[in-house]
Amino acid sequence: MSVQDHRAHYHRPAPGASASQGRPFGSTLSPWLRLFAGGVWWIEHAFERARADARPEEDTRVRIFLVMVVFSIVFSGLAIGAIHSALFADRGGAGRSANPNALERADLVDRNGALLATNIGYYSLYIHPAEVWDRRQAMADIRRAVPRLPANRLRTAMFGERRALVAQGLTPNERRAIHALALGGVEFEAEDLRAYPLGTSAQHLIGASDTGGVGTSGVELAFNDEIRAAGAAGRDFPISIDLRVQGVLENELAAAAMANGSKGAVGIVTNVMTGEVLGMASYPATTTKNQAVSAVYEMGSVFKTFTIAAAVDTGRADMNTMIDASEAFMVGKRAIKDFHATNRVLSLEEVYLHSSNIGTSRLAVGMGGATMRDYFTRFGLLAAAPIELKESARPIRPRDWSDSTLASLSFGYGISITPAQMSAAMGALTNGGRYIPLSLRRGGALNRGEGRRVVSEQTSQTMLELMRRNVVRGSGSHADAAGLRVGGKTGSANKLVNGRYDATHAVGTFAAVFPADGPVGTQRYSILILMDEPQTFPRTGGFVAAPAVGNIANRIAPFLGVQRRADAYSTALGDKVPSFQDVEGDGR
Amino acid sequence: MTAGLMFKRVFDWKIRGVRWVEIIGGLLVAVMVLSVYIAKAAAAREGSQISELESQIAENRQRVRLLNAEISRLEQPARLEALSRAAGLGPVAARRQATEGQLPALKSASEPAAPVYVAPVTVPADDVAKPAGEAL
Repeated sequence: MSVQDHRAHYHRPAPGASASQGRPFGSTLSPWLRLFAGGVWWIEHAFERARADARPEEDTRVRIFLVMVVFSIVFSGLAIGAIHSALFADRGGAGRSANPNALERADLVDRNGALLATNIGYYSLYIHPAEVWDRRQAMADIRRAVPRLPANRLRTAMFGERRALVAQGLTPNERRAIHALALGGVEFEAEDLRAYPLGTSAQHLIGASDTGGVGTSGVELAFNDEIRAAGAAGRDFPISIDLRVQGVLENELAAAAMANGSKGAVGIVTNVMTGEVLGMASYPATTTKNQAVSAVYEMGSVFKTFTIAAAVDTGRADMNTMIDASEAFMVGKRAIKDFHATNRVLSLEEVYLHSSNIGTSRLAVGMGGATMRDYFTRFGLLAAAPIELKESARPIRPRDWSDSTLASLSFGYGISITPAQMSAAMGALTNGGRYIPLSLRRGGALNRGEGRRVVSEQTSQTMLELMRRNVVRGSGSHADAAGLRVGGKTGSANKLVNGRYDATHAVGTFAAVFPADGPVGTQRYSILILMDEPQTFPRTGGFVAAPAVGNIANRIAPFLGVQRRADAYSTALGDKVPSFQDVEGDGR
Repeated sequence: MTAGLMFKRVFDWKIRGVRWVEIIGGLLVAVMVLSVYIAKAAAAREGSQISELESQIAENRQRVRLLNAEISRLEQPARLEALSRAAGLGPVAARRQATEGQLPALKSASEPAAPVYVAPVTVPADDVAKPAGEAL
């Protein structure tokens, strides 16, 4: 620092003060601020400098010049801003505010783009009572124009003190009718409401959302964030179901349930290779629950499929294994008997086709609790179905894995699962042996990968063959559909009523897959039909559920691209081949 | 004459006591104001047209949504099924279904029988003249 420097730049340390105290403002700040402060000082002292230099007129010029520069900059900025806003204003801004209450929620469509849920413009009616001249007359006029308006709310709003909402969801025609009355104090606000044009179709699956556009159940809740994001982006949100399949499923399910007087019924159609749900229905339409995922049932003999699959997969049994069903199987003091007693030694195929409780109990007890538990876990029978729906319920699992429990589990008692769990497990058994989670997302669940291995491909093929034989000459014959090679297993169980199994309260199930032939990797579809408390006799799955499966397969096959073909058991037109020859000699 | 002096002379050139530089500056400001006004007025006019079109588009979009929803309502599977059943329609049996490849075979099966040629019969002129109802 030299003596020519301005004194403002000089810092005199105060006694006792620290090095940072007493510095002029700006010295501790950035060099840019110091430069700015210096510039201000230079301008402020221009007059003094000019007088010191004996050129006072220069000072005036400088000041005028500076003022002109500042004004020019300001006006130039304003002019540029005005031109920019005039020429390049956001043109979408004007029309965008047409409905400030618009829902940011995408249209819900099926896998082919058919509309399932959308937002429809409605109007809310508000009354500003202070601006109504003759309140009684106005109320009478409005009631006459739109009779469905709630009288109590209208009266409360009309004779209240503040602006109040009378009703939401007015259609444009209703709005026009009220508007034509030319009443003072009547106001309308445009609003979007979620509409479900299919009515009761797929209602349990689609669910609902509230007036604020937040999903409260079903797909609307499960994919809430994604639906809103798609809505914000102006896109539709597709789900996995095929409305044609859904329609057939609902119609056939309702027809079958009405024919046999069932209290309730559930149907699920899935693609076993991807886990996509193509249709999911609950009967009756008046039920509020999606029973396919939120209700649990003891399903009976369908479980024999898993027991036999576990036995085949562990190597404990094959198609040549013989099992003694000539007399009741005693587990402690409990005697396991067959519903259709054969009283003889049965092959594995016969155990399956005759739905022998003795045969599957012997297999389950032979495998032991650890093995059975392992397979039941792999099939997803001990945990809630991993589907996106929040309603997915947990099963009622066995408390212990004793021999008696194993025997019960082997033929579908002692465990209550959701139809969705059953559908996913059957999918795993028939798609080559991998558990693919069910999904309502088109294309299947995210990051599902190849799925966890449940049984070997060989076991899967063996079970497909057994299921097909069960339809051809076993208890599932009513499920056969000409040329579609349907395979499946019946299930019949009595329900617990007042602590006892009551034969008059039954559940009849049929779990099917088609086509059951072809190599691993063949595109297959599963159909699960469950009838809750049918009233016709016999109440078994083969009579109350299997016919609906056949009808559904017949009708949805063209939508799914499944061709009618002959197999070893029947022609493409459904005529039986007289006798099946085991030409390969492999027993399958 | 240096460039500075020339510049000063031009700068100091006055018309009726007013510097020409200031006159030109004033004119430029006036032009600028006028152009901004015209631009704003034109933009406002276009803006109103745009907003009108946009409101029409929004209205039409709402109508399209409404019509789509109406179509969807009319095509409810249960409704179509009920209408079909009422009209006597139902699923087609497998035996009555055919693929595209089977069409030629079906055509040959349903071809009309070969025409039968019959020898001409001579009809009396009286019979021909009689009306059909009086043939017997």
